[in-house]
Amino acid sequence: MGFWGFCFRTLVFALLWWILTQGDINSWLVGAPVVLLAVLASWWLLPAISWSLSGIVHFIPFFLWRSLYGGVDVARRALHPKLPISPGLHDYRWRLPPGLPRVFMANTVSLLPGTLSTELGEEHLRVHVLDQSGDFIPELSIVEERVARLFGLILVDDESEE
Amino acid sequence: MSDLLTLMLLLAGAGFFFAGTVGLLRFPDVYTRLHAITKADNVGLGLVVAGLLLQAESWAVRGKLLIIWLLVLLASASVAHLVARTAMRKGIRPWKR
Repeated sequence: MGFWGFCFRTLVFALLWWILTQGDINSWLVGAPVVLLAVLASWWLLPAISWSLSGIVHFIPFFLWRSLYGGVDVARRALHPKLPISPGLHDYRWRLPPGLPRVFMANTVSLLPGTLSTELGEEHLRVHVLDQSGDFIPELSIVEERVARLFGLILVDDESEE
Repeated sequence: MSDLLTLMLLLAGAGFFFAGTVGLLRFPDVYTRLHAITKADNVGLGLVVAGLLLQAESWAVRGKLLIIWLLVLLASASVAHLVARTAMRKGIRPWKR
């Protein structure tokens, strides 16, 4: 972790402490060493990762809107007298590299409309879909592109496998 | 004005919790039930937090409310995945229409 990474994490944990103690000045006597220890622990647990600010700025409204739609969609199906669901499984081929980006995508997928990640495989993400007739495949590929952008990555299309 | 908006957001949030619970009871298997509980409760809590944000008196409290929502999001998505993965590994087949 470089100098800026260190500063950034210190800022994030200091902000967190400020929120948790609701801005109590006296708490910093304990807070300052705790923030420093948290930065060191995070350094050990999660080495420097690449991310992109514009990726995050674009991801937030996308996620809020799609997860709201996901909630409305599942609420409608649950309350509908005929229970309109036709579930199934789908293996989605990863374009993201292993590690944090894949875990992040798996968690995102579970909160978006009609998809639930069930297994992070070596080559595929196994997704349970609530309605097989829906457009979940383009949706997954959009999510993957957004997640890639968040981590400052460029996806490589693997056409030869299709 | 903000009281009225808070009331509407809290009621809408409660509506989503209700729908999620109905889904939990009505959906046929573990996977579909996870869909209902994670997505509907995420939106329900999001709306409740949005309603409470309007009543918060300081930025520290607003930040705390947002952190609560983010932690619940992270926990519910991770737990849903772990439950689904365990069910899959135990050989529980998804319900088919």
